[in-house]
Amino acid sequence: MDFFEVFPAMDRQGLRDLKKGIDSSFREFSRSYGEGIEDFFEPLLHFLVWLEKLLINAPWPIVIIGIAGLAWIGSRSWKLVAGTVIAFLVIGYFGMWKDTMATLAIISVATLLCISFGIPFGIWMARSDRVQAAITPILDVMQTIPSFVYLIPVVMLLGIGKVPGLIAVCIYAIPPLVRLTNLGIRLVDKEVLEAADAFGADYRQKLFGVQIPLALPNIFAGVNQTIMMSLAMVVIASMIGVKGLGLPVLRAVSNQYLALGLLNGLAIVILAIIFDRVSQAYGRRLQAHREGNGHD
Amino acid sequence: MRKLFIGLAVATSALLGLSTSAFAKCGDVSMAEMNWASAELMANIDKVILEEGYGCNVELVAGATMPSFTSMNEKGQPDVAAELWINAVRNPLNKAMKEGRLHSVVEGPITELGEGWWIPPHTRKKHPELKTVLDILKRPDLFPHSEDKSKGAFVGCPAGWGCQLANNNLFRAFEMEKKGWVLVDPGSAAGLDGSMSKAAERGENWFGYYWAPTALIGKYNMVPLDFGVPFAGKENWDGCIVKPEQECANPKPSAWTKSEVHTVITDRFKKQGGAAVTYLTKRVVPGPVMNSMLVFMADQQAGGADAAVEFLKKHEAIWSKWVSADAAKKIKKAL
Repeated sequence: MDFFEVFPAMDRQGLRDLKKGIDSSFREFSRSYGEGIEDFFEPLLHFLVWLEKLLINAPWPIVIIGIAGLAWIGSRSWKLVAGTVIAFLVIGYFGMWKDTMATLAIISVATLLCISFGIPFGIWMARSDRVQAAITPILDVMQTIPSFVYLIPVVMLLGIGKVPGLIAVCIYAIPPLVRLTNLGIRLVDKEVLEAADAFGADYRQKLFGVQIPLALPNIFAGVNQTIMMSLAMVVIASMIGVKGLGLPVLRAVSNQYLALGLLNGLAIVILAIIFDRVSQAYGRRLQAHREGNGHD
Repeated sequence: MRKLFIGLAVATSALLGLSTSAFAKCGDVSMAEMNWASAELMANIDKVILEEGYGCNVELVAGATMPSFTSMNEKGQPDVAAELWINAVRNPLNKAMKEGRLHSVVEGPITELGEGWWIPPHTRKKHPELKTVLDILKRPDLFPHSEDKSKGAFVGCPAGWGCQLANNNLFRAFEMEKKGWVLVDPGSAAGLDGSMSKAAERGENWFGYYWAPTALIGKYNMVPLDFGVPFAGKENWDGCIVKPEQECANPKPSAWTKSEVHTVITDRFKKQGGAAVTYLTKRVVPGPVMNSMLVFMADQQAGGADAAVEFLKKHEAIWSKWVSADAAKKIKKAL
């Protein structure tokens, strides 16, 4: 009856050999392709470093005006622009300017990348049930697997720094957008699509003229989630050396500095809220046609 | 008659007292299991020995140098820190020891320890002229930082490690920023290990902080560097180098202090621990044995618990000297 007491697992040595086999094959892969993969990401790294230097070295009034300008273009709301300016002034006043600029640089690039890869994937999933069945488990893995599990091979390939951090953020932040885009497009009323067909719309006209506009609420919910999740990953990215607000938070956690952690954490929250409100306001403006009172 | 009764009572209680202390139920003990391999191994060896040999109820509490020490200092929890590297906390630790809140029971629970700055062996082979830290500081071009190839990258310590403050201040003391270096914060132990492993595997140059005994140093045969300057005195080290930047205005360049590691226990445990405390005073692991255990842990991907069992099975000659004969018998039976 011992069979039922302890689970009949693989014998220790077999398990160890399996693990060592996986490790050594990854090491071989890293040795042969590591250089190539690093070179592939060089341009992205240069861009990230350039953007971070730009934001950090530009005089702060110009940066605040630039961000306020972007907020205005996105939302056309004075309240939001004022809130953004005040938030950044407060962040700067508490000595977190440099870190915030570094985080802003990497998170903006991450969010843009996520959106540009996520929406097409979502559209692709919406086209075909088979693709959806194939991609959904991949999304599940991306969202739930503990970050360090995929960070270890990434660090072995690319070292510590911005690009592995970006990869970590994107892997975690893309799934909500893909899922919600897929959902939004699939939820578009069948009758509306039939009407579009009846008017002689081809695939592209249907996609960009009917499906995407009608799916926008869901797509923007996805964008919101992506933004929130990429900012949530800031601290994990800092665990592999990405500069920004995550490093002081790590320091605070390790040394029990409550105030430091709180302040930097709140700065991350403020960034998330600003990103989110601006993109939501932009989304609402895009859907002004739905409200019927379409003046902005 | 009364005298006889009293005498019997005293004798019985004395006998009872003796027998209970022989099988001392030492109660609940919490031990810090710090987040590096040798500390994990020490904590697990202690746990097995105390639970099987002395009947303690041991709880392992995850931690690291700074948070575990602060917790022991402020709250008296956990009871035992098996491998506390005290260079960064020397002053507060001395204060706590003088006030009787904490006690050091063993100085050097592992022999042949060392912290410092290291380079991979292929760098030493390719550039034999770089003998000391001062030589390396002249060549930041050999250690390009991935994000800014014009500067050299020196990999420091992650947050929460005592050495983060020391590396920061030594970076300033050696004027490394002026010489074209960047202090890279690896973010976490995994980041530091990953950075060193990647460079060692790919044959790239790497320059940064690490310590022995560790599996990675043994695995890659990393080369420790001579600092090129002598140790600049305790006042400079304890009063400045290990303090946060705002409390250290003028750090002087210095070699790394001799690493002191203690097993530190709280006052409460010292009073109530009984035989467990005696065991801790005798427990010293020889450096080469620790290195071999760490290589075992890395090769076999064993955690602290598995490695502790392996250590107890293979090195009976060593650990049987730390425990009483009774406890040794009980531990052997449990393995």
